[in-house]
Amino acid sequence: MTHFLPFLVTAMNRHSTFMCRNRFSLSPVALVLTVCGSLLFVSGCGKTPAASFRPNMVEAAKQRLKPEQEEQVATILEAMFGTPDNPIAMPETGLDIGKLRLAAGPVHSDIVGRKNGLFREHCSHCHGVTGDGMGPTAAFLNPYPRDYRPGWFKFKSTERADKPTHGDLVTILNNGIYGTSMPSFELLGEAKVDALVEYVKYLSMRGEAELNMMRYFFELDDEDEGKLPETRDFLVEEILLPVAERWQEAEDAVIEVPEMPEVDLAESIAMGKELFYGNKANCVKCHGVTALGDGQANDYDDWNKVVKQWSDEVQSSHEVSTKEMSREEKAEHREYLARADKALAGDALEPRTIQPRNLRQAIYRGGRRPIDFYYRIHAGINGAPMPAAAGTLTPDEIWHVVNYIRSLPYEFDGELGADRSMVARDRL
Amino acid sequence: MLSHTLRRGTLALATLVALPTAASAAEWGDISGRFVYGGDAPVAAKLTIDKDVDVCGKHNLVNEELVIGPNKGVANVVVFVRDRKIDVHPDLKATEPVVLDNLNCRFSPHVVFVQTGQDLIIKNSDPVGHNSNVATLKNPASNTLIPASGETKVSFRSDEAVPAAVTCNIHPWMKGWVVVRDNPYAAVTDEEGNFTIKSLPEGEVELQFWHEKAGYLDSIVINGKKTDVKRGRMDVDVSAKGTDLGEMVLDSSVFK
Ligand code: HEC
Ligand code: HEC
Repeated sequence: MTHFLPFLVTAMNRHSTFMCRNRFSLSPVALVLTVCGSLLFVSGCGKTPAASFRPNMVEAAKQRLKPEQEEQVATILEAMFGTPDNPIAMPETGLDIGKLRLAAGPVHSDIVGRKNGLFREHCSHCHGVTGDGMGPTAAFLNPYPRDYRPGWFKFKSTERADKPTHGDLVTILNNGIYGTSMPSFELLGEAKVDALVEYVKYLSMRGEAELNMMRYFFELDDEDEGKLPETRDFLVEEILLPVAERWQEAEDAVIEVPEMPEVDLAESIAMGKELFYGNKANCVKCHGVTALGDGQANDYDDWNKVVKQWSDEVQSSHEVSTKEMSREEKAEHREYLARADKALAGDALEPRTIQPRNLRQAIYRGGRRPIDFYYRIHAGINGAPMPAAAGTLTPDEIWHVVNYIRSLPYEFDGELGADRSMVARDRL
Repeated sequence: MLSHTLRRGTLALATLVALPTAASAAEWGDISGRFVYGGDAPVAAKLTIDKDVDVCGKHNLVNEELVIGPNKGVANVVVFVRDRKIDVHPDLKATEPVVLDNLNCRFSPHVVFVQTGQDLIIKNSDPVGHNSNVATLKNPASNTLIPASGETKVSFRSDEAVPAAVTCNIHPWMKGWVVVRDNPYAAVTDEEGNFTIKSLPEGEVELQFWHEKAGYLDSIVINGKKTDVKRGRMDVDVSAKGTDLGEMVLDSSVFK
């Protein structure tokens, strides 16, 4: 691949986040990406210093990126996605710039008195300006607010590996996530919720594109000299499209749900119960013989697992003896560890285990309609340890398990012991 | 770049053959080699089995992060060709699915190689249920419940730069690896440390070496000399007569 534009103004460009920018400060990457005239440049020069996106320091440290490589990623990201105040919607993303503008920026009213800056008003104190799930209140919440950057979402109608549909995210915003700190935003009204959903997708695509780039350095050939090729071809085909296309495909990936079989409810519940505790569906292994969610206590969800595994690795690197290292190797080792410790302390939340749901409390995060349970069991919970049962259980069997799940909070099971089931019910 | 030239220079010594005359894919050759552990082989730690103890507890399961054979061969080193555009020998077109088994509460084989577009069948020969959580980075990750004697099918659209871990959330000690490439040119060493990649097009290819405990193998002792193998990559000449990389020693320090 040819580098048809030099890469010169990185540093200038990076520091300009805190200055009023004019339209001539577009980086060469931005120019590459504007070949089709897609880039809309708004001059959002206000009095307050502009907010900036936080780089994914954990991934950067993990991949041992050099400072100039981190800079390159930041510059490309800015050219592709803009800044928290001035979002860019490249046509390949399929995102609607009008909606993004409503959600982005500091809280303010526009020329027609319409309120903008919705994300920072309603979401960023939990999810962070970057959507990294590390807003100022995040550390105090359990579960932690979602980090959108890896692109995993839990409560959706699509197959496990697929992105949520636009409608799934609208539902989440309207309903909130019961049993967690995530509130309902239904009162904001349709248009605002719609804009916020668009912005969640935007932050997620941006975060995934960043991860793709940071991981790509390792795949570079020697001829690339440690730099990502700044060609439109590479940036769009290798970095942006693999992410954007998956969001567009989501609308076609909705799980097909056949009718509930016509059997007597009590019979269906009995069959569901057998499956739940049996070796085929195996729900019991995690949700426990009591269904109180006490079968598996030491697992992590994927967000926490990433941090946990790396933090363990760093910990064992700390214990490696440096005696046989050359002076240079020693310095490199120390620098890596210092950087890793800093990233883990400042750019990651303390990893926490995830508990399988207590199914006797009737608190369901992803909705309580029968179809919600169907989706959860069919696809499992993406990003969480709960596996997909599709293919293992037939649709009829899934429906039986759904019926059993729905009966669980009200089930009186002599074997369970009256006091335990009372405790579970009292928590309601 | 200087280090680049040096690297190629040193590694040419490792290849025992002359440069090929024509780089046409009319001629094909194998690459083989052997990875050996330098130092006393550590004893693999016993795993703590706390789930389905009656079934999983009787197999004396040990940690398989580093498996050293009786003759000091390093097993489970992954060797693959980095070149993106490479001629593929007509006999090597993958059609049959690859099988990864949940057997005796471990993944068998420990490292499995599958090509893009080829099916990976994950089956369960155990009398207990498992789930197989495949943590791919470029492909959407999957996690499916697999009951006793059940199986599930996974396929990949894109190659993976780094092998993907496969785990079972029900039995947390279980860990295996899936290598996903978009050509047939990859191999995993056996307990003797041996590997062979068959029928490569004659000419230069770039190999990459990886091991789960060490990551990319960037320090290998070749002909008694500690050699810097940048990012585990090595240029190798493929000859129709076969190319033997000989014995490559991995010091214990490589595995931290
Ligand atoms: C008080 C903190 C808080 C606020 C405010 C908040 N969230 Fe959340 N949000 C959370 C938590 C906690 C979760 C994770 C719940 C879980 O993992 O079960 C979450 C999860 C999500 C998810 C992921 C749903 C899924 O299916 O995985 C989305 C999307 C989301 N929030 C969007 C938003 C948006 C948009 C706003 C602002 C309009 C917002 N949140 C405001 C705490 C918050
Ligand atoms: C490997 C462990 C595991 C297995 C097996 C498992 N689950 Fe779960 N399940 C979980 C975890 C962990 C959560 C909590 C996920 C979260 O909070 O994001 C959960 C959550 C749930 C929920 C709550 C969904 C919601 O909206 O709040 C339901 C219902 C559920 N599981 C049902 C089942 C059923 C039915 C089966 C068997 C077919 C099953 N689970 C098998 C681990 C498991």
